[in-house]
Amino acid sequence: MSRIGVFVCHCGENISRTVDVERVAAHAATLPGVACATEYKYMCSDPGQTLLKKAISEQRLTHVVVAACSPRMHERTFRKAVEGAGLNPYLCEMANIREHCSWVHEDREEATAKACDIVGMMVERTKKNRVLPAITVPVTKRSLVIGGGIAGIQAALDIADAGHEVVLVEREPSIGGHMAQLSETFPTLDCSQCIMTPKMVDVANHPKITLYTYSEIELVEGYIGNFQVTVRKRARSVNERTCTGCGVCMTKCPQKKIPNKFDQNIGMRTAIYVPFPQAVPNTPVIDRENCTKFKTGKCGVCQKVCGPGAVDFEQQDTLIVEAVGAIVVATGFDLYSISEKPKGSPIKGYGEFGHGKIPDVIDGMTFERLASASGPTGGKIVRPSDGREPKQIVFIQCIGSRAREKGISYCSKVCCMYTAKHTMLYHHKVHDGQAYVFFMDARTPGKSYDEFWRRSIEEEEAVYIRGMVSRLYQKGDKIVVMGSDIAVGVQVEIEADMVVLATAVQPQQGADLLAQKLGISYDKYNFYSEAHAKLRPVECATAGIFLAGACQGPKDIPETVSQASAAAAKVMTLFSKDRLEREPIVARVREAGCVGCFACKKVCAYGAVEEKEIRDRQGNLLRVVASVNPGVCAGCGTCQATCPSKCVELDGYTDEQIVAMIEAL
Amino acid sequence: MHPEKNNSSAFEPKIIAFVCTWCTYAGADLAGTSRMQYPSNVRVLKFPCTGRIDPVFILKAFQQGADGVLVSGCHPGDCHYIAGNFHARRRFAAFRKLLEFVGVDLQRLQFSWVSAAEGGKWVDVVTDLTETVRALGPMTEFKELALEEQWSGALTTPELKEAYLQI
Amino acid sequence: MNNTIDISHYAAIADSIRAEAARILEQGVVTAVVAYTTGRRAGSVQPVIITAAAEAERLTFTAASVNNLAVYLTKAKKDIPRSGRIGIVVKGCDLKALVGLMGESQLQRDQLYLIGIPCAGVLASTVRPAEALIAATLAPKCRECDAHLPEGCDYVPAVSLPSAPTLEPSYAAEIARLEALTPAERWAYWKEQFAKCIKCYACRQVCPFCFCEQCLCDRNKPQMVDTTPRPAGNTAWHIVRAMHLAGRCAGCAECERVCPMDIPLNLLNRKMAKELKELFDYEAGFAVHEKGPLNSFMEKDDQSFIK
Repeated sequence: MSRIGVFVCHCGENISRTVDVERVAAHAATLPGVACATEYKYMCSDPGQTLLKKAISEQRLTHVVVAACSPRMHERTFRKAVEGAGLNPYLCEMANIREHCSWVHEDREEATAKACDIVGMMVERTKKNRVLPAITVPVTKRSLVIGGGIAGIQAALDIADAGHEVVLVEREPSIGGHMAQLSETFPTLDCSQCIMTPKMVDVANHPKITLYTYSEIELVEGYIGNFQVTVRKRARSVNERTCTGCGVCMTKCPQKKIPNKFDQNIGMRTAIYVPFPQAVPNTPVIDRENCTKFKTGKCGVCQKVCGPGAVDFEQQDTLIVEAVGAIVVATGFDLYSISEKPKGSPIKGYGEFGHGKIPDVIDGMTFERLASASGPTGGKIVRPSDGREPKQIVFIQCIGSRAREKGISYCSKVCCMYTAKHTMLYHHKVHDGQAYVFFMDARTPGKSYDEFWRRSIEEEEAVYIRGMVSRLYQKGDKIVVMGSDIAVGVQVEIEADMVVLATAVQPQQGADLLAQKLGISYDKYNFYSEAHAKLRPVECATAGIFLAGACQGPKDIPETVSQASAAAAKVMTLFSKDRLEREPIVARVREAGCVGCFACKKVCAYGAVEEKEIRDRQGNLLRVVASVNPGVCAGCGTCQATCPSKCVELDGYTDEQIVAMIEAL
Repeated sequence: MHPEKNNSSAFEPKIIAFVCTWCTYAGADLAGTSRMQYPSNVRVLKFPCTGRIDPVFILKAFQQGADGVLVSGCHPGDCHYIAGNFHARRRFAAFRKLLEFVGVDLQRLQFSWVSAAEGGKWVDVVTDLTETVRALGPMTEFKELALEEQWSGALTTPELKEAYLQI
Repeated sequence: MNNTIDISHYAAIADSIRAEAARILEQGVVTAVVAYTTGRRAGSVQPVIITAAAEAERLTFTAASVNNLAVYLTKAKKDIPRSGRIGIVVKGCDLKALVGLMGESQLQRDQLYLIGIPCAGVLASTVRPAEALIAATLAPKCRECDAHLPEGCDYVPAVSLPSAPTLEPSYAAEIARLEALTPAERWAYWKEQFAKCIKCYACRQVCPFCFCEQCLCDRNKPQMVDTTPRPAGNTAWHIVRAMHLAGRCAGCAECERVCPMDIPLNLLNRKMAKELKELFDYEAGFAVHEKGPLNSFMEKDDQSFIK
């Protein structure tokens, strides 16, 4: 007979406000097999856990049910506590009476009745719980970092400095990401490239870092501690080993008018190119779509002029398989393009702002390139249309962000600050110019951030107008900006020379596809989801995968760097052990009943089911049955639902446990 | 909202939800942390994956007196276990046709994809099913069946009639 | 209109089976042959397993050769590795079952010597085995048979298949009739049908696909299906049975034939076959499928029923 202890948590008032916890405990006490039932204000607190442990030893409990928050929140906490008291952790279950009950129902009667049911259901389930011995798996102490922006670079350097090998994969020809594109950074106005490029060089020179640029993740297999990642290294058409980076090929390439994505397409590059002079690696790439040799078969100038003979038109994509134990995802962001609607995007366009049609309406990143000393204009702020210096410039904030009706409800977080920075950069470079900013709210939390924003108004003479712009249109060589100043309650019309739109921060294109390869979750905007919004902000729900930077949500540089270091610390924690304990939620085959139809093998996505021969003592084959490799099994249980005779059973989710729950209702 | 709710004799549907832990369970958690409100009729059973959900459980739930059953998991492509939801989709596509054929009203059996980010969708799905089932009234079929002891004895086929006459 | 089914070639088939069985046993091609022999009642036929060439003369094939002999192989398969290759007489519908069993790793093609029958049809019931084979006495499955000539057999008697009258498919008509009813009416229909069940499990015993060593429905930890022969347990049994056969059942209709209570079991099987054809374009046939429709998937599978 089981002696179950039921512990009902008040969660301060989070549960007890709508659920009569005393009644729930009293109800639980009446259930067969329940030895004791009690309630406590904070079960997860130290006294709460002590109470639990004490009850286990004093009441000789065999199983524990904690009726509190979601198991996703505290199952680990309580299983650990139970283990501390000498019980197998898998003899403890949680009844979710907070997220699934007290927080979603107002009626106290109804909520209490439901909580009683949930507890009853979990009591019946727990009775059928079995001792599950821990399963340990080896840990491959190498890490994969996806994305070579500041987040990926920071994470890679931290992990590598701790002595572990890192594989860094970047989609573009160079690492650096968006931070390499920025001119100056807020709130200190130090030059972005000056602080970024040394880190990039560190990555290139680090003996523990293997860098794959111009490469993408093709396939991810395995699980925490034991991932196999296939990287597609796209054909660069230049041999990285022999290329010296002299750059002669680029000076001789006849194709010189290709818009450079790194310069937001306002600067031009050649067909064989590095995106920017400080690129790491400093090995050019041939853009096959625009290369005359690839288009027509004639040319080949780069190959002729290349001293070391590094240009290789025959190069093919290569697939490299890397074994790693942990993955840091740092794929960053992209700016919402208002000129073209991304494919399949739920976001409605901003046609009214004329971006893409009016050449002097640009986005924030383009402004960065204009202001950058290494940019296409050498740091001169000029109009893309005619190269004149804009004397009146209008910045419009929240383009895409905080606009539910347009499809994005979140705040992009960095725009208030970078627009303030833009007004300063503009004022420093165009002394007689005037900057206007249309804004909804100025959001400036962060160290020295508000001071910085105030400075743009008080010292750098930017005029902030609270209100949104309704329309932009070209009039002669001016752009008329029509908006309202809601602080004063008047319509405003400004004839501007240039308009800069603070477009929303969005995840990279294809972020969802990568998430599907990794098996991690993402929200409706394709930002990756952390395991817990507050307590596990850098971990994915999928074990062994960590998040860094703007791929998880809009972030500024210091925040990104902090998260990257945090992710690196998590990886190092994982690597601090030689073997890793994994949840023993795996399938097992009851060989006596297995008829060897291998339906389980057919549905197993992990290849965890093997065919096992059963032989008699003389070695004669008797029959072939299914067998599950517990190291490979991920614990989904699809095999069990498929098995006609239920001879494969998923520990922790057995038919007995589930049927007990259904029957309790 | 529901004036009839205050009437203690009013029918309150019993809804059983089989959900996967990664998407829908998390979505329901999100509905909780967002303090969204929905009818309290639903009882949630957590599974690692919709791939683990056996059609027999649905049958069992109806036999145990469920008035409506919800099965919910990750959107296609989002399965934490690569393809469990794809297998589940086929399995339930077939199973619901079988239930329909034996006379179960499919309005009582709902399938949905609710991701970890879709707290609102969870609320909608649960509310819709609860209200649909409330309008349909109690699921009496299985309950009545459980109370019956034996066959009515009606001789429905010529062979049975003939056999009977020969006794 | 003449409703007689021409089975004049069955005598020649029987001769050929006898000769071929004798030959393969004689030459050691197989160690046993599963076939039909004459029963005690006049005209009746029963399954037999012979292991010597001399016994071959006992074999026969008539319109009463209704049994799907594949079921004997699922029971005997464990011995095959020791006993060696086995010969078996198969009609088209029986062969589909064997093919299904091969797909489910229960049998291997090279373990079998297939004697295929160019089949014009068999009787619905063996109650009156000497009865003439006419449309009214023809097994319903034969009305919609698309497999008169089994494919890929090792031996097929060299007889030509007489032309058969076109008959209205009865299962399809009955399925359509039931589908047109309201759920409540369908429930009432099936309730009455399932209530008759006495849980003798003859349907399970005779089914080539019910090869599990331990049936889910016999389990008591947990009890997934009520085992008592009361309406609730019967209904659950028949639903689970139909679900487990979905995408596997090839339509030999033996379950329906052996049911002492005349429950239209094959109707459920045919309904599921029809649905799986519509949903996943899957049909049980003569080609071995590596994966069945319910243990494979396509990303573009229908999900219109999912919110």
